[in-house]
Amino acid sequence: MNRVITIALAGNPNTGKTTIFNSMTGSHQKVGNYAGVTVEKREGRRKYKGYDFHIHDLPGVYSLTAYSMDEVVARDFIINEKPDVVIDVLDSTNIERNLYLCLQFQELNVPIVAALNLNDEAVSRGIQIDEKRLSEILRMPVIKTIGKNGAGVEALLDKAVEVFERKEKPDYEVSYGHELEGDIQVVIASLEKDGAFCARYPVRWCAVKLIEKDARAEELLESHAFADGVKAALKERVRRIEEHFGRDASTVVSEQRYGYIHGATAEAVTRRPVDKQTVTEKIDRVLMDRVLGFPLFLLILWLVFQTTFTLGAYPMGWIEMFFGGLSSVATAFIPEGILRSLVVDGVIAGVGGVSSFIPLIVLLFMFISILEDSGYMSRAAFIMDKFLHIFGLHGQSFLPMIVGVGCSVPAVMAARTLKNARDRIITVMVTPFMSCGAKLPVYVLLAGAFFPRYAGTVVLSMYVVGTLLALFSSLLFRKTVLRGESTPFVMELPPYRLPTVKGILWHVREKTFGYLKKAGLVLLPASMLIWAVTSFPKPALDVPKDVQMAQSYAGKIGKEMAPVLAPIGFDWKIGIAAITGFAAKEMVVSTMGVLYRVEAGPDRKSDSLREALRRDPAFSPLVAYVLMLFMLIVVPCFASLSVIYAEIGWRWLLFAVTYWTALAWLLCFIVFQTGRLLGF
Amino acid sequence: MTILGLKNGEAFIVRRVTISREIGKRLADMGFVRGAKGRIVRSAMLGDPIQVKICEYDVSIRRSEADGIEVEMVEEKK
Ligand SMILES: Nc1nc2c(ncn2[C@@H]2O[C@H](COP(=O)(O)OP(=O)(O)OP(=O)(O)O)[C@@H](O)[C@H]2O)c(=O)[nH]1
Ligand SMILES: [Mg+2]
Repeated sequence: MNRVITIALAGNPNTGKTTIFNSMTGSHQKVGNYAGVTVEKREGRRKYKGYDFHIHDLPGVYSLTAYSMDEVVARDFIINEKPDVVIDVLDSTNIERNLYLCLQFQELNVPIVAALNLNDEAVSRGIQIDEKRLSEILRMPVIKTIGKNGAGVEALLDKAVEVFERKEKPDYEVSYGHELEGDIQVVIASLEKDGAFCARYPVRWCAVKLIEKDARAEELLESHAFADGVKAALKERVRRIEEHFGRDASTVVSEQRYGYIHGATAEAVTRRPVDKQTVTEKIDRVLMDRVLGFPLFLLILWLVFQTTFTLGAYPMGWIEMFFGGLSSVATAFIPEGILRSLVVDGVIAGVGGVSSFIPLIVLLFMFISILEDSGYMSRAAFIMDKFLHIFGLHGQSFLPMIVGVGCSVPAVMAARTLKNARDRIITVMVTPFMSCGAKLPVYVLLAGAFFPRYAGTVVLSMYVVGTLLALFSSLLFRKTVLRGESTPFVMELPPYRLPTVKGILWHVREKTFGYLKKAGLVLLPASMLIWAVTSFPKPALDVPKDVQMAQSYAGKIGKEMAPVLAPIGFDWKIGIAAITGFAAKEMVVSTMGVLYRVEAGPDRKSDSLREALRRDPAFSPLVAYVLMLFMLIVVPCFASLSVIYAEIGWRWLLFAVTYWTALAWLLCFIVFQTGRLLGF
Repeated sequence: MTILGLKNGEAFIVRRVTISREIGKRLADMGFVRGAKGRIVRSAMLGDPIQVKICEYDVSIRRSEADGIEVEMVEEKK
């Protein structure tokens, strides 16, 4: 039996915790160059030198006075689960602010191993850290690491073992200066009257946190046997501190902590001035320019889409050809009958139709992940903040919204970095308007079929309309159900970093497999189901094909919905296709593939679904556009709904679902009826 | 004088943070404490938010928060 060591990877945001986690455990968790990539705890395992490491990757925090939801997760893990060793990942280029958190870990009396990560960047900026000296001063092991290439990661594990096996408890000594020490001692003395309390919580940490007016420490105090006595002593001391320093006691504690850090680093850190401009500064001169910044941001987004479509067109053509060929082969080899119909009209028409769009989705994800890794995301948030603010959104909401262009699921979770519940709920409710990658196939199919000359513009218009809806919905919520000022916006702007090819490839690979899995597990059986409900009950042989289908189960269900669908211009087939989008957005395409199953023949062209749609009298450019709008606005897929439920609870989910549905129907109604009046 | 009184490129030393407890504490945690050195880097299109270099990193804050950070201007040797 190996011995188990529980490790927490903790530290400030964006210091490389997940990078180190991936390197330790061989996993591929999301890494990105902005604060707040990791929003929930992740566990990974590693066997090393006869030990079983249980490694937990935590969201980044600036202080143990937690602020937003993701930060609470990290703090509570350290305090409640008491990991055997905390590996504190520090950003070496910004050692002071990073040690600020480290000192708070020391006060908790957890054994620490400090990783001086991003060492390569520190070196290039002329920052030299004497890790031996630092280790002596701070009484903890300090290891230089470069998360990106794994340098120093094994050494971290070695040190963790050493610290774990050491019998005596760590004896850290965080000094707040003699002016504050007396007050801390008085509060400690009053806390120590309850032995049980002191056994449970590190008493010095409690005392300091109470002087810092930390809400969580005040909560803990409620379980203290002599809480009133402690409170009285505390009040007295806080009054004295504030009188003496002339400032809020909580700021005094921060100042003293930084003071201690300056003392420690003065000895161990030397800075060789590098007076040339850093690369980041040079890039920012252009990208963050007051005037150019915004147009450049739009240009970047436009380039992303443009490249996605241009590059994606090639593999899309190949996949279409492949399935076209497959369908001919199947027709040639399977005798006429139910089986052939199932394979050709159900499986190939459904899954084949949607598979050709995989390259688009994958490319879109690739570009988003390049943006995330480069460090541009927080710049974009900086540029857009004022604008978003006007609509009652938070600058921080911008990151989830961009992530939402890829997929709503991670986007909704990314909203956790918003501190205020109102901001978070609003962000979660408007993120689905950002047209996730799965809606792209629907747009591309319809735009390609009905607006062949302006397909690109029409697809782009969906993104524009979506963004406008997100902004105005947020303003509406802010003015009605979720009133209140939006909260302050303080966000770190990390240096630009070159996205790693390895990281991007992993991401792309993961997405591709994800979609193949979805195609196999969801779209394949669903296509077969759609095939079944449109093929049965078995029609009489002498009726024409389109009438046959109208008499099937699907046709009957569709007709029941006619009163709702007719006003927005949908016939029963379009209605059924739109509804299947609840399972997954791409399913609209595969369902249409099945519904518009075309006679497969040797002369069958690869763009037959497009042609079939064009041939259907129920469709027109107007109907196609309305359908795109409907898909944009209506309730997101099941997977998103379940995370949205987890993030905002069922009341808000119910509200959101009603809002999305009503808005979708109303807008489609207006557009369709006006369009018809205008003669489209 | 607060950060708002400074122009782009000007350097400062923090005197104290005067805004309310929670965000004030957050700023203090992030390094805006008495004596910390910083510099205004730039502001966004409509003058809000502002990019500030504090300690050794860059942070974006809104004007409303910047107004709560009292500073003293310092001449920076270039
Ligand atoms: N140059 C360099 N870059 C690194 C190093 N370690 C990590 N990075 C990069 O730093 C960025 C942040 O890495 P993450 O691992 O996502 O950081 P994190 O601490 O998990 O961030 P949060 O989850 O947001 O708290 C990414 O762009 C990494 O590629 C390093 O040692 N050197
Ligand atoms: Mg992370």
